[in-house]
Amino acid sequence: MSIVTVQLGQCGNQIGFEVFDALFSDSHCPQGLCSKRENEAYQASCKERFFSEEENGVPIARAVLVDMEPKVINQTLSKAAHSGRWKYGQHSCFCQKQGSGNNWAYGYSVHGPRHEESIMNLIQKEVEKCDSLNGFLIIMSMAGGTGSGLGAFVTQNLQDRYSNSLKMNQIIWPYGTGEVIVQNYNSILTLSHLYRSSDALLIHENDAVHKICAKLMNIKQISFRDINQVLAHQLGSVFQPTYSGEGSFHYRRNPLGDLMENLVPHPEFKMLGVRNIPQMSENSLAYSTFTWAGLLKHLRQMLISNAKMEEGIDWQVRPPLSGLPMLGKMSLNKEFHFNTSIANLVILRGKDVHSAELGAFKDPALYTSWLEPVHAFSVWKTQRAFSKYEKSAALVSNSQFLVKPLDMIVGKAWNMFASKAYIHQYTKFGIEEEDFLDSFTLLEQVIASYCNLGF
Amino acid sequence: MGRRRRRRRVDPADAARALPEAIAALSQTLPAGPSPETFRRAKFDRPEAAPAFWRLLFCVLSPQLPDGASASFSPEAQVRSVKLALRTQGYPRRALAQLPDDGSQGGRELLLALAWLLAREPLPERLLAQNRVQLGDEMHVCECEALASPGPPAPSVEADGCVDIRHLQWLMGKLRFRWRNLMASQQEQCALLGKIHSYTRGCHSDRSLGHLSVTETELLRDPEGGRQLLRRLQRENARLQAALEWRRRELVFWQWMDTVLDACPPEASQPTFLPRIPTPAAGALEPLVRELQALQGELREAVEARRAAWEAGVGGRGPEWSAARTALREAVGQDLAALRRACERGGSLAQPHGPRRLVRTEAGAPRGPGLRAPEVIEALRSREARLEVVLRRLQGQCRQELARLVGALPGLVWILPPGR
Repeated sequence: MSIVTVQLGQCGNQIGFEVFDALFSDSHCPQGLCSKRENEAYQASCKERFFSEEENGVPIARAVLVDMEPKVINQTLSKAAHSGRWKYGQHSCFCQKQGSGNNWAYGYSVHGPRHEESIMNLIQKEVEKCDSLNGFLIIMSMAGGTGSGLGAFVTQNLQDRYSNSLKMNQIIWPYGTGEVIVQNYNSILTLSHLYRSSDALLIHENDAVHKICAKLMNIKQISFRDINQVLAHQLGSVFQPTYSGEGSFHYRRNPLGDLMENLVPHPEFKMLGVRNIPQMSENSLAYSTFTWAGLLKHLRQMLISNAKMEEGIDWQVRPPLSGLPMLGKMSLNKEFHFNTSIANLVILRGKDVHSAELGAFKDPALYTSWLEPVHAFSVWKTQRAFSKYEKSAALVSNSQFLVKPLDMIVGKAWNMFASKAYIHQYTKFGIEEEDFLDSFTLLEQVIASYCNLGF
Repeated sequence: MGRRRRRRRVDPADAARALPEAIAALSQTLPAGPSPETFRRAKFDRPEAAPAFWRLLFCVLSPQLPDGASASFSPEAQVRSVKLALRTQGYPRRALAQLPDDGSQGGRELLLALAWLLAREPLPERLLAQNRVQLGDEMHVCECEALASPGPPAPSVEADGCVDIRHLQWLMGKLRFRWRNLMASQQEQCALLGKIHSYTRGCHSDRSLGHLSVTETELLRDPEGGRQLLRRLQRENARLQAALEWRRRELVFWQWMDTVLDACPPEASQPTFLPRIPTPAAGALEPLVRELQALQGELREAVEARRAAWEAGVGGRGPEWSAARTALREAVGQDLAALRRACERGGSLAQPHGPRRLVRTEAGAPRGPGLRAPEVIEALRSREARLEVVLRRLQGQCRQELARLVGALPGLVWILPPGR
């Protein structure tokens, strides 16, 4: 089944390019550490999901590119065409001549309706190329102008027109010290709108990825390209093919559906975070070996201590002991910042993957009281190594990862809102104070629900 | 029993063989059919016969299970399912319901139950029709099949203590995702069927069909598949032969069943074996008819009285009032008409039930026999519209109930869930 990607705005388009490039490079990587037949099955599965075929054989990414200014789209198109290995469709992009000045309301209320037909037609054409549609992947930033407002509008439209199809939004969480002064307003409006119309929000924090580049990849001058490549690596490790079940050697046909069914069936809990291990520069890769036990131990600690990467993990954080009275449990959580999960998905790729021991992830103490580990924890596997890593593990988690960042953004936005700063920029284009209040209400409810997981 | 005829003189040896052969023929037409020896043991209520008959009845009464799926049900689950199904169908003997759930006893009662089922309807023929080898791509247009059989009972899960509502919401969400996945798979299947049908245009020897089905295409591509299909057809043929054989010989089986019934312990208050439709005595209907007419008269009077009381209560004079009244009458008339339509059996197409073969025709081709897709789509759409109306009405009732609850608790702030 095929996934159609919608790349929105500067952020979405740059990241989208890196994602397709990473997927393609990995699927054609000679060091798959598996048999030829297995490799071919892997390639075929990846191709069906993300690329379509044209007569002369160059795969075309199943993507629609949308931006309000032409510069980034043109760069993206030419970079893809230049590589000669894959490309974007000739008529898959939509752009205008003007930007939207980081104005969420303009993107949502003006650009959206004005260009609705054209954008939805492009998407429809891409959908028709699929034999069967698994769902949509929408890549966008949360706090910028075009990407966020237009992204919220487009996602709503997808909900109306393709109500049975699955939709996952890849959201780029801005730097805490971002440059856009109204980024917190944009963030809360985007999040609240997406919460209503999307099925799952896979969130990537710029701050976290930046640290990964600095500490793990040892990059001195971190460019957006570096950040985007780390992001693409994370997404690739989630969406590349995996076996459809325990003991099966057929590749899963419905990755979006399986992921969502296991992680986000509850309408109040839609925020997902991704963690990868190991993550390092190519030079270091040659000198490192790993065991599954070691990787999984680190990954589990990253989960429960809410670490963003495998360095600097706080090993003091422990799961609360069962049998303690409720109040005791709560204070322990507060002190040691234990991250309670609702549901987790671990994805293992590489050598001897069937020998990996996952018992530690099935500990009921990791999870909230109303879901048992047998329902809350799932694992996907494949022997085929990912992107030259002999063994690699990814974790997609629906947990309290994002409560603190969300709480911070909502707090800052509320302070600005209390003094009505910059509101006129939004009311000018039809986003009223009522809409802000609705957004605040919804997000406060989300924060409260996530905080109550400890009970 | 109305099957007795004048008996011919038969050779005793033939007579001895006739019963086992009849039973063997019957068994061949049934899924998991026991041997004639097992039937004999069941008559004498031997315990070793019971499990085979529980299994047989389970397969017969839950036909929508695929082959081999019965193994996933525990013996107790099978026993309970059989009891439930028989009760649903109105099986009169209480002794069967009282048999132990572990499936260790009851051969004779089960044999009687089987005979009851055989007497009610042409069971072997129905089973054969249901399980026949399908050469074409088929789908059901009517919903009778799905609605008629309730299916085996799901194991009931005991909820110990309170259930967290978040867990319920989680499960509902999972269910919704699975529905969406199902829809996506069905759409994919339709797209692929369409492709196969259009690619194989002109390949079928039967001009009225014109193109191949999936099974037929596989037949051409894969000779091993063809051989397997041939074997299935041969097995089906054998079962059909057995069914014909059974119909020829079944008299001796029914005579034997009489002896089985006689072998039962003579307990009091056992209802008659075959449900008999009572023929009404000559004068029995008259008083009934009179009573019905009297009741109808009473009802009419009561309605008139009520209507007069309402009109008096509403009051009102003048032209605006009569205009309003005609408008109200019209609205009520429309509602009644809609209600009547809703009560009619789902706007079902007046066509025979059962699965139908999918045939793709070219635009402008002469109209062949059978149902056309646009008609089916139209009927389904109007049914969907009626169900939507019902859904909206129910949602409105829920909303009113919620509003009532909100009003009942002052000082409470209700936050509605995010939705549009």
